[in-house]
Amino acid sequence: MTSVTAISLRFDDNCGRHAVGEPAGRLRWQTAVMPRLLVLEDDDGIRVSLAMALEDEGYETTSHPDAEAALRDPVFGEVDVFLVDLMLGAGMDGFDFIREVRRRSDVPVIVLSAKADTHDIVAALEAGADDYVTKPFEIKEVSARLRALRRRLPTRVAEPSHAGTGEFVIDSANGPLVLDAHAGVLRRGADAVHVTVTEYHLLRELATSAGQVLSRQALLERVWDHGYFGDQRIVDVHVRRVRTKIEVDASEPRLLVTVRGLGYRLDCA
Amino acid sequence: MRIGRAHLGVRATSTVSFAVLALVISAVLAGGTYLTARHFLLGQREDTAARQSFVDAALVREGLLTAGAEVSEVLDSTSPPPGAVVVIERDGAWYSSSLDTEAEAIPTHIRRLASKGQSAQAWTLLGTQPAIVVGVPIPAVRAQFYELSPTTELDSTLRTLAAVLGAFALVTTVAGALIGRAASARVVAPLEDVASATADIAAGRMTTRLPATSDPDLAVIVGSFNTMVEALDQRMRRDARFAADVAHELRSPVTTLMTSVTVLRGTEAGATGRRRAATDLVEREVRRLHRSLEHLLELGRLEAGVLELDRGPVDVGELVTHTVRDTMRPEELVTLVGSPLVVVANKAILHRAVVNLLDNADVHGGGTREVTVGCAADQVQVRVADAGPGVPTAERDRVFERFVRVGSRGSRSGSGLGLSLVAETAHAHGGSVWCEERPGGGATFVLSLPAAPASRGAGA
Repeated sequence: MTSVTAISLRFDDNCGRHAVGEPAGRLRWQTAVMPRLLVLEDDDGIRVSLAMALEDEGYETTSHPDAEAALRDPVFGEVDVFLVDLMLGAGMDGFDFIREVRRRSDVPVIVLSAKADTHDIVAALEAGADDYVTKPFEIKEVSARLRALRRRLPTRVAEPSHAGTGEFVIDSANGPLVLDAHAGVLRRGADAVHVTVTEYHLLRELATSAGQVLSRQALLERVWDHGYFGDQRIVDVHVRRVRTKIEVDASEPRLLVTVRGLGYRLDCA
Repeated sequence: MRIGRAHLGVRATSTVSFAVLALVISAVLAGGTYLTARHFLLGQREDTAARQSFVDAALVREGLLTAGAEVSEVLDSTSPPPGAVVVIERDGAWYSSSLDTEAEAIPTHIRRLASKGQSAQAWTLLGTQPAIVVGVPIPAVRAQFYELSPTTELDSTLRTLAAVLGAFALVTTVAGALIGRAASARVVAPLEDVASATADIAAGRMTTRLPATSDPDLAVIVGSFNTMVEALDQRMRRDARFAADVAHELRSPVTTLMTSVTVLRGTEAGATGRRRAATDLVEREVRRLHRSLEHLLELGRLEAGVLELDRGPVDVGELVTHTVRDTMRPEELVTLVGSPLVVVANKAILHRAVVNLLDNADVHGGGTREVTVGCAADQVQVRVADAGPGVPTAERDRVFERFVRVGSRGSRSGSGLGLSLVAETAHAHGGSVWCEERPGGGATFVLSLPAAPASRGAGA
């Protein structure tokens, strides 16, 4: 619990986080209250047991069996992390829900996937998910993902260790495009560019080592906190997503380039 | 012949049959040709010899009719063809155009006939050479005329002819054998297609079908073969789909159980020993169920070929080291021999295979003793050794089958699928897995995968 307090304190210092100006999806992590999770899962057993287990770990949990109800929930705007099952009964499926969440906010989404097939995982990540666990999962896998997300968040704040590198000019010609680590935002000229927590952190890692190649494995460990056996496709999909936000032409990246067989490199222009 | 057929294949039998047939036909034809030609040539030669003899006899008669003529002079004046010898008998005396030819060269029946006034012809030997002897009586001068014509040329002609015909027969026989071989190959070819298709299917390539044919004799067998494979394939797919469906259906309840057990654990502070023991039991069995389900799902994915989409270079040494570390086993167990130890594989499934080998050594082999990753002849090998009771030779293949437990003593905590998943992983990556005896007791399980081409190097 001590680590939670530490994170909360750092969040208390952060005022720039809301410069993005979301109407909804404000992070509650900055308060002393434990993060609020929204579980969207149509299987009663999993939904109820998962909510109980997460509450035991101290999270505030809201759960819904269908996407429409989750979107109408008055606490929607206060959710810190969404846990979303892809295959829901009738109506909207998990993919639609993730896209809707992304339309409204940059709050992290963890997919609870019944499928480990390449196709569905990649589709969910492309829809905007940050990470995933596959069923049958153990609660400790979900906890590990949540912990990793929470560790990730404070780095959006100016950290003492990065004090000297508050602003990264990524593209001076267009905008200019600036990653402001003090404010925790990405700006093109005067406008904020929407990036999710994970996208921001990925860009931040790349910007810190601008001009150097970072392997997919290294990015996976630094940004997602996944070990050696993590899924490197997560990195690939996020790189694609970041490109659509920073590149002039995402199909011909000039800034965030692929170094074949080695990894990715950010070339600030 | 029956024995021969039993031992010789269709092709050999057909080849031999065609060769024998060709030999018989060509021998009959060649023999007939030879005999006819010989008969004709000999007859012709005999006629020539007879005509020549009559001409020469007429000359001798003319010579001897001349008053006072000596036989030897007349003999000198005759001009027989080169090599031919003229012999004349008159009043019991013998005269010869050749110095060494005596009357003995002329068969007695010819002499008798000639002395009786009849012309006669026969075969004899002139020295060592065959020759035709023609006897012509010349009553007007009370003499018998004999002419011996050697047939050396005819002989060599016939020998050449025999050689040519013999060679012809031989060539025909060989050609017959070749035709027989080709014809039987043509007949056997569809069978070979069937054989290779069957081997492909046995190796798991269920998409194998025999190519369609317009040959009405083969169309039936091709059709029924393909129908059989199709039925087999569908049945296997149905079985696999059933297993996959069951596994998919079990995901949610097993996830719920796993999560609920965690909740139970959290609420058991102050619980009685009995309740705690019961929770322990539930947790252990739910974990086992969870592991079985994961193995089933992985097997399903391996069978569906899904994992082939996500392969890359994997450093097996690194993977094994991480696996040992992640599963809380002492890292000193691992020995890496040489480098690079890179294979092209799906990292997640390979990880699972290594975990299963380690679990197997711990559960059934009394603990992992050493894990060696090394390279042997283009293969990267992971060797997991234990110090358990070992695996009896007869069971060493069976341990890789599903739900097979060797030895009744064996612990029941495994999923029953662990080693079969290792085997499927090996096969899916073009490798193999086997079990051998460990020197000093215990078993060594070896997972062998083809090394990645050197140029690919270690993965990013």
